[in-house]
Amino acid sequence: MIEYILLVSRQGKVRLAKWFATMPTKTKTKIVKDVTQLVLARRTRMSNFLEYRDTKVVYRRYASLFFVCGISQGDNELVTLEIIHRYVEVLDRYFGNVCELDLIFNFQKAYAILDELIIAGEIQESSKKSVLRVVAQSDTIEDAENSEDTLARLGSLGSRGN
Amino acid sequence: MPFCSQFIANIRAARVGEAERLAINKEMANIRTKFASPNLSAYDRKKYVAKIAFCFIMGYKQDLGHMEAIQLLTAQKYSEKQIGYLAVTLMLTENSDLLRLVVNSIKKDLDDRWDVVNCLALHTIANIGGDEMAEALAPDVHKLMISPTSNNFVKKKAALALLRVYRKYPQVVPAQEWALRIISLMDDGDLGVVVAIASLVLTLAQDFPEAYETAYEKAADRLHKLVIGRNYDTRLYDYYKIPSPWLQVKLLKLLQYYPPPEDTAVRRMVEQVLATLLEMQEIPRSVQHNNALHAVLFEAINTIIHIDARSMLATQSAHLLGRFLSSKETNVRYLALNTMAHLAARAETLDPIKKHQNTIIMSLRDKDISVRRRALDLLYSMCDVDNAQVIVGELLNYLKIADYGLREEMVLKIAICCEKFATEYKWYVDTILELISAAGDYVGDEVWYRVIQIVTNTEDLQAYAAHTCFNYLKSPTCHESLVKIAGYILGEYGHLIANEAGCSPYEQFQALHAKSNFCNANTRALILTTYIKWVNVFPEIKPQLMTVFDRYRHVLDSELQQRACEYLAMAERPEDDDLLQTVWDEMPPFPERESALMNRLSKKHGDTGDRRTWIVGGKEAMKDAQVTRMKSLKRVTTNGTPTSSPARNRPHGAATGVPNGTTDIMAALAGLDMSGGPSVNGDHTPVLRNPDIDAKYQKLLYSDSGILYDDVQFTVSIKSDYRMSHGRMRIFFHSKLPTPLDALTTTIKSAEHDHLTFDIRQIPSTTVESAGHTMLEVEFECKEFFTQPPTLHVSFLTGSLTTLGLRLPVVIHKFFEPIQLEPQDFYMRWQKIGGPPREAQVFFPIVLNKRGDVDTLGQQAIVTGARIRCLEGVDPNLVNTVGAGVIYTSATGKAGFLVRIEPSRDEKKCRLTVRCTSDAFAPSLMEYIRGLLTAK
Repeated sequence: MIEYILLVSRQGKVRLAKWFATMPTKTKTKIVKDVTQLVLARRTRMSNFLEYRDTKVVYRRYASLFFVCGISQGDNELVTLEIIHRYVEVLDRYFGNVCELDLIFNFQKAYAILDELIIAGEIQESSKKSVLRVVAQSDTIEDAENSEDTLARLGSLGSRGN
Repeated sequence: MPFCSQFIANIRAARVGEAERLAINKEMANIRTKFASPNLSAYDRKKYVAKIAFCFIMGYKQDLGHMEAIQLLTAQKYSEKQIGYLAVTLMLTENSDLLRLVVNSIKKDLDDRWDVVNCLALHTIANIGGDEMAEALAPDVHKLMISPTSNNFVKKKAALALLRVYRKYPQVVPAQEWALRIISLMDDGDLGVVVAIASLVLTLAQDFPEAYETAYEKAADRLHKLVIGRNYDTRLYDYYKIPSPWLQVKLLKLLQYYPPPEDTAVRRMVEQVLATLLEMQEIPRSVQHNNALHAVLFEAINTIIHIDARSMLATQSAHLLGRFLSSKETNVRYLALNTMAHLAARAETLDPIKKHQNTIIMSLRDKDISVRRRALDLLYSMCDVDNAQVIVGELLNYLKIADYGLREEMVLKIAICCEKFATEYKWYVDTILELISAAGDYVGDEVWYRVIQIVTNTEDLQAYAAHTCFNYLKSPTCHESLVKIAGYILGEYGHLIANEAGCSPYEQFQALHAKSNFCNANTRALILTTYIKWVNVFPEIKPQLMTVFDRYRHVLDSELQQRACEYLAMAERPEDDDLLQTVWDEMPPFPERESALMNRLSKKHGDTGDRRTWIVGGKEAMKDAQVTRMKSLKRVTTNGTPTSSPARNRPHGAATGVPNGTTDIMAALAGLDMSGGPSVNGDHTPVLRNPDIDAKYQKLLYSDSGILYDDVQFTVSIKSDYRMSHGRMRIFFHSKLPTPLDALTTTIKSAEHDHLTFDIRQIPSTTVESAGHTMLEVEFECKEFFTQPPTLHVSFLTGSLTTLGLRLPVVIHKFFEPIQLEPQDFYMRWQKIGGPPREAQVFFPIVLNKRGDVDTLGQQAIVTGARIRCLEGVDPNLVNTVGAGVIYTSATGKAGFLVRIEPSRDEKKCRLTVRCTSDAFAPSLMEYIRGLLTAK
């Protein structure tokens, strides 16, 4: 089971954090600190795996961002690495050449997309198309609601103007 | 639509940390006043909660907005709900009190007709669900998962939400009751659903291996379809040309939680799949392709090792792993080392691994600490008597330059290897002392306790140990643990070397005393004890020792002071007093006990998430783990060899309460949680009985083919033929439905699993087209006389799950063969067999037919139907029936038998006599035939 997913910038700033295992806030802070330190210290040509306490850490760097997954001892490392990649692919397709800023300004989308790929610490859907379809569906709903919102606000402004 | 982008841009503009904090605090203060105002619009609420959530991700924990986020959950609009759910999952944790307030809105959203809203609720349960949510929502989640109207994307989310619920609060999930229904979803056409269900099943199967046993067959079947049939939607589920590696890995893992398959059909499928995977050595087209390929390959190798570490496939795997050890890719090297440690834990011989010993030792010097760790574990696992000296030597060399994080574990492992595989005691002592002097700070107390235990118990070693310790003491720097060992050993065995040059009592005292000044109180106390022992054996240095005691009478440490005073008093007693001698006599050997080191090491492996199917540490560590694991698998068998147990042939729940010779109390206790009786463990459908089914069954008892079950949607018919102790049966399932029938699952149970065994030769396809049919082929073998027919359990999906339990017409007389005998032969044999114990006889009442006669024809028909030849012209009384046959069993062998039935019209009674060449069968045969005759 995946215990957590972290997106950490090269400066060590957390861009996204998702916890599937229950832990007190203190432990989480400690893990974020330790794991970030370990991952940032890694050099190229090293493996994508680390061992941290009783868990394994699988990470991969994409441009300025590190995608980090903490998994249980018995889990398959490579397949986790490829979940990360699938997530990046979906983000890339959705935002069109995704960059760190996209994830910062659209953090709620980054979380929503992750929810379509992984919940409860297990992969939920591996097909890029299926994930994007569901995300697009929710976007359509949102857009419709937002234009409604805008109209309503314009309406109220208009009425005040009169 | 970045709707708080201005805010985010502002925060990002703040270059210094302090400015960032200020900007955030300002905005939060603003939000606080906004929240306080009574006319907060829904849109604003959403916006502000989003801002708070953003700060939360940045690491600024805020204490506002919780209530507003919860309010958003009840909003009508999807976008508001979405932000609400995001904020709730971010800000509330499983143990938060506020979650209680959320449960109701989640429940409402689960019931919503709009499936995107269902999904939001399911995500929340799956990601932060705790006890309370589990208790309140488990049934709703289950409903969404199995409902035929649920969308595929709802189903898979529900499956994983249920998994979370189960992990958090297993009591609210009746996992055994739901087993069949959950397993049936593994046949779903949507691979997304299958992968989610596979995760759920994988977890449940670890806790309820029996209830989820059919999942094995499903997993094998699905793998076969993926890998060999390529029977899936390749556009959606190929990942860089590899069929969904995630699903493959999950299914292969599932296989590793069960013992190797018994049934030919399943075994063949699994072997085919594994062989194909092993040979998939494509040239990698991209990193992704390469990773996906290796992900599946290593999992396949793990499965191969699990199934049979001696098979051809395992040899092939070992070879492959050897090649991977020197791969250019670090990931592959890492995994190869890890998988090889698995092989070392399972394989009969370590030879294939030892071939690569040098490469593995080289890996200890890899650039990457992750690889070095794996190499260490593998070296530890592959260590045995032959290579212990080399490996331990290498590890000792490496220890001196190893990372600090690795040292403690290394020290333990070196110490264990030393102890387990030492062939010479000298080597053992040398190595351990070197170990302590090289990495003293990382040596736990267990290590030096153990040295002393071993030295004390091994007489040949004592002088040598004393000598070596003394040498270490004389060196300028000496670790405190070494001082302790030296102190103890010289105290006990110093006199053994006292006559050698340079080892005189005075020199020993000087060496030890010089070190004592740098030691802590504990060590000094130990040294004082050494001195008093010396007072006993070395009277020549008594004055010096007395001075030391005298000086220690004034130290501040109370323990030391007390010791000094007591020892002084003891030493000052008159010469002829033997108190000193008696008290400080040589220590007796320690009772043999288990090494404390192993406990220490196993304590280091906490269990998180899925249970491991193997553990590092070679065969011996495995053996312990195996026992515990097999216990947890509840595979208690009569012969006590867990691995070879045909678990599926065992009546459900019957054997669990029966601890036998080899299983201890723990096994009996482990069985307890199952013993809720068959009503609780509703994983096997009860056998269906009604007059119609009984009539069909009765008919099939006397014929080899026909219809077993028939209703409006479904027909089961069988064809069988028997030859001696073997029988082959083909069971056909015909669908009468207008739509295809899905997730067909069949299992066969034999109540007397060691008397009647079976092997499934072909499993039916999971989907049956409208008006189509599929076939299950099974081979029965009669090992010994049995009385209970096996049962067939069928389940399938037609919107909802239909289950069916039927008796299979396999009874002992199917393994009879009629024999034609001439009257004189019959008499001769009848005489030859003689009376008891090879004869069994009984009287039983009979019912006369309408004319008031004995129904001889009926009796003869039964006897003939039961594959016993009715012999004519043998018995002069025409009412009587005589017959002859042979019974075949593969364990006890075959036996001929003769039957005589003598009904009496007047007494309405009948006498049945059976004579059999084997006294083992006579009574059972008599009982059986009586049963047939009275059944009408």
